[in-house]
Amino acid sequence: MIRTVKPKNARSKRALDKKQPKIVENVKTALFVPGQTTNQALHDICIDFASLKEPYQKRLHKKNKILPFEDASSLEFFSEKNDTSIIVLSTSNKKRPNNLTFVRMFNYTVYDMVEMQVMGNFKLLKDFKTRAFQVGLKPMFTFQGQIFDTVPVFKQVKSFFLDMFRGEVTNLLDVAGLQWVISISAVEEDENNESVSKFPLVHFRVYKLVTYHSPEPKLPRVELVETGPRLDFKIGRYQLASAEAQKEAFKIPPQLRRKTKKNVETDMLGDKVATIHVGKQDLSRLQTRKMKGLKSRYDQHPEEEPADVIEEEEDGQEKKRQKLE
Amino acid sequence: MGEEKTELKPATVQKTIPVEYDTGNLAVYDPAPLDATKISDASAKESYLKSITRDNVQLLINQVLSLPLTNKKIDEQTNMTLVELPEPIYQLPREKSLPKEKEKTKWEKFAEKKGISKKEKRSRKVYDEASGEWVNRWGYKGKNKDMDDQWLVEVDDQAKTTDDGEDIDPRKLNRMERKKLVKKNMLQQKRNRLNGDADKE
Repeated sequence: MIRTVKPKNARSKRALDKKQPKIVENVKTALFVPGQTTNQALHDICIDFASLKEPYQKRLHKKNKILPFEDASSLEFFSEKNDTSIIVLSTSNKKRPNNLTFVRMFNYTVYDMVEMQVMGNFKLLKDFKTRAFQVGLKPMFTFQGQIFDTVPVFKQVKSFFLDMFRGEVTNLLDVAGLQWVISISAVEEDENNESVSKFPLVHFRVYKLVTYHSPEPKLPRVELVETGPRLDFKIGRYQLASAEAQKEAFKIPPQLRRKTKKNVETDMLGDKVATIHVGKQDLSRLQTRKMKGLKSRYDQHPEEEPADVIEEEEDGQEKKRQKLE
Repeated sequence: MGEEKTELKPATVQKTIPVEYDTGNLAVYDPAPLDATKISDASAKESYLKSITRDNVQLLINQVLSLPLTNKKIDEQTNMTLVELPEPIYQLPREKSLPKEKEKTKWEKFAEKKGISKKEKRSRKVYDEASGEWVNRWGYKGKNKDMDDQWLVEVDDQAKTTDDGEDIDPRKLNRMERKKLVKKNMLQQKRNRLNGDADKE
């Protein structure tokens, strides 16, 4: 924990308030930390990742001796100091060459970690001739492979890349802003493979969208142009999130919880079905006697003598007539 | 463009295994297994990955364009047509835990118990009849400091005196009272803070 003092002026108070937990959270910022054994290739890859993450990123320039799986306290310090929750640490040694450790933080403590070794066939942004897209646009994601829904590490990888590059969550989107796509694919786990890691490679690709007219009305035909970086990762060590941290991290604030509508359901076919409760109808006040002959005074009650009633009625009418005359 | 001369390709994609859309995240999850032999073949790999991604992006774009639209006015001439995105389906972990509710002060607890509703907010400005202007109620050139720089002040019949029996300047007295209130409030704030910490533990 970094010691915090009570802010003495409005500026530092604002800066501290920015770090406070919020109901609707800010975009997660990423911090790129070079490890003690980093190399030029990892440095270039980190620059490319940072440019994709623009403007929510920060890069450290000095090397740091950090072994995240042994002691992550310095990462936690960096996280709190820079108020970041995604850390990418680059290290390279004989056992784990070209290794990027993707760390996610929750409340400035390690949430989950995964090591991904960049294979030798990587290509950087500058190796592609195509012009890059605008900074700060939301990317689209495609995940190819069932493995991203079944194997825990791959679930973590999927969650990580979504978390890192998703950007702001909006409910309104300009279609013109759909300019680039991050494609992440992996083949299925091979049970027969006898090698040390039976996990397949994760293929990270970035493409730019080019749209053309198509015969269908209002639907464009999409073509892709690769812009890089092109990276193939081999998964190394990993640490999944603890159940406690997960429970805490997936809490939805009560202010944002959507209220379920009563009596509205979706049936098997996807149709909306609603039950409507109509109040009890008061039939006693129903107006049905629209004709003179049906008026209540002409009702025939078996106990009373109907003839008398009519006579009386007639008398009354006669009196009225007399008055008028 | 060369594309237009050739026959227009269709913008629809047929998939045997349906893909999952998460338009809130602008993501599509394709559970269909990839062809491992094509992936391991260096020459075919890139075009294969690209073609699969293209199909999925096409599906996603078609899905996004089928969502309801809204018009948003930016200024008088320009209107923007925006797509209404649903909420993301795939949940991601938060960065920090939920914000804690602010601890209630002693007064707030008391008021709640007694059912005292909050007073309406008092305006910060007050009308100064002497100058005919609206001045601060407190703070810089505040109305509560009026007494401080009077050249002549009335002394009460029962004017307060010091222990030695000397009169206290009413200007000073006024200032002292103000400072005392500030001090009292500071003490209350501190107590509330401590109580709040104690409640948490």
